[in-house]
Amino acid sequence: MILFALLLAGVVAVNVAVLRAHVAVSRLDQKRGQLQARNQALASELSAASSAPRIERAARRLGLVQASAGNTGYTDLTSPRR
Amino acid sequence: MKARVVNSRLRLLLLVILLTFAALGARAAWLQTVRASSLAALAQKQTKFDLNLPASRGTIYDRLGTPLAIGEQATDVIADPMQISQPRRDARIVAKVLGIPVRPLYRELSDQSRGFVYVERKADPKRAAALSKRNLTGFTFQSDERRVYPQGTVAASVLGYAGVDNTGLAGLERELNKQLAGTPGRATIVRDATGQAVNTIQERPAHDGRSVFLTLDSHIQANAEQVLEQTVQQWHAKDATAIVLDPHTGSILAMAQEPGFNANDYPGAFSHGLSIDHAVNDVFEPGSVFKVVTVGGALSEHKITPQTAFTLPYSIHVADRTIHDAEIRPTERMTVAQILQRSSNVGAVTIAERYLGQTGLVKWMKRFGFGRKTGIDLPGETRGLLPSYWSGSTIGNVPIGQGVSVTSVQLASAYAAIANGGQWIQPHLVEHVLGQAPPKLHRRRILAPDVDRELRTMLKGVVSDQGTAVLARIPGYTVAGKTGTAQKPGPHGYIPGAYVATFVGMVPASNPRLVVLVSVDEPHGQIYGGLVAAPAFEQIASFDLQYLEVPPDVRLK
Repeated sequence: MILFALLLAGVVAVNVAVLRAHVAVSRLDQKRGQLQARNQALASELSAASSAPRIERAARRLGLVQASAGNTGYTDLTSPRR
Repeated sequence: MKARVVNSRLRLLLLVILLTFAALGARAAWLQTVRASSLAALAQKQTKFDLNLPASRGTIYDRLGTPLAIGEQATDVIADPMQISQPRRDARIVAKVLGIPVRPLYRELSDQSRGFVYVERKADPKRAAALSKRNLTGFTFQSDERRVYPQGTVAASVLGYAGVDNTGLAGLERELNKQLAGTPGRATIVRDATGQAVNTIQERPAHDGRSVFLTLDSHIQANAEQVLEQTVQQWHAKDATAIVLDPHTGSILAMAQEPGFNANDYPGAFSHGLSIDHAVNDVFEPGSVFKVVTVGGALSEHKITPQTAFTLPYSIHVADRTIHDAEIRPTERMTVAQILQRSSNVGAVTIAERYLGQTGLVKWMKRFGFGRKTGIDLPGETRGLLPSYWSGSTIGNVPIGQGVSVTSVQLASAYAAIANGGQWIQPHLVEHVLGQAPPKLHRRRILAPDVDRELRTMLKGVVSDQGTAVLARIPGYTVAGKTGTAQKPGPHGYIPGAYVATFVGMVPASNPRLVVLVSVDEPHGQIYGGLVAAPAFEQIASFDLQYLEVPPDVRLK
């Protein structure tokens, strides 16, 4: 009788633990979804903030001008030393 | 006597118990059989509910990994008018919180014949959460995703649009819908007596859409758009198109058009006719930029060399047409190189008449890819038009880019082939789809390497002091290219005063890294490709060369 009672209690305990785990998984799923959504929103915000037209407008406001391509110097590190 | 009474009472009790059990058994049998399905459904409804698991739409990135189209969390706000007892009050509250018009909402909420009404699809999740806190009866909230184009106007016509159901309706969103959309899943949520979810049984998991990486560079694209905007303003033009191509890979780094629009307001742009992708959907008569086909063909047939000279009058008659050069000049001798350099119509027609004829021209137009789709990964590409009937004067039109219509992408890819040693590579916008191999590209040889070198050298002459495109020069770099100024055809012949000014160039000409096409539709004040489109080419290419860190190939004095 005692053994039967113990087995019954064990089964109930396992069921409760499984139920709790399911609830935790549900919550974590929800949390993961929220974090993914937040991540997407931040990526979108970053893309908008770093867009070329926005940066260029800001640069113009600061009085900056685009450097001419021909005036940019390059050093060829692969050419042999003279 | 007493014992008999007790026995009869016991029997009566037993009978009552038996009858009670029989009644209970009958009731149980009734519930288990006749009512079984309806009760099971009721229980299912109370503890379980089915849920569609939406698949996230894949992100579209530029070549550097900057998101150009991305899914953001949104909330669908749904109402059940049958449960709403005070539609006027609720409409006022909901409209205020969500920031939507109150009148149409009130009409929807007061229609008690309906049990399901979308109050707002893809609403701002913060506003929807604020509304949810009001605990209004009859309103439910469902998580959804809305498509956002964080860079606004950048590459709007290329990216296209995904509708409220997250289905691609235009541009790359439509072309790549299969890869981007993913597959929605299905799940059952098990709830306890308080309505709390205790288990989620996934019947079919949702498979999110695949992300796509483009060849477009958002910085090169944005700069090209900005240059076109200034060009259209300066020349009061109808519109303008620019394409920046890497000739060695066929990768399109920018495909810009002006007027542009904000990709987040595609329906608005559509209603104003701005959403058409001019580079692939529109055709135009190319004019003199087409002369490379004539000269390239005759060179390849070994009928001429760059030094072959012709005596050319200012004008010639071809059947019933008079062909003349753009500027009045005396009869003079010109080499093939000078014919290209000075864009002589008479010279190009003379070469075509003498050495190519109809058969040769058709062969070389097709070889350069005109009259057929390039296979670019955008929907609705037009193949352009080659003459279906050749009259006596057609040989006077086609060699100078009249009587044929091409798309900007066909023209840019033909010049890219010249820049790539004579090998044509399919122009493309998709670098790869995440988890998939890059798409296989068609390649074909158009010109032999030696012929290509000769043609490229001649095209460098176009940007010299004697050429038509002095304004395309970039300090520090050699430039090769060709101008075009084509009258626009209308239903009753050419439209007076309506021109398309074009310049297609490659830089550095010694080993081209970029091919840039600029086409300006109906400029005013000036009409020539060398004056209208060449400066835009110079601005676009200058920025791109510096941005891509391409070293100069000419030492500056």
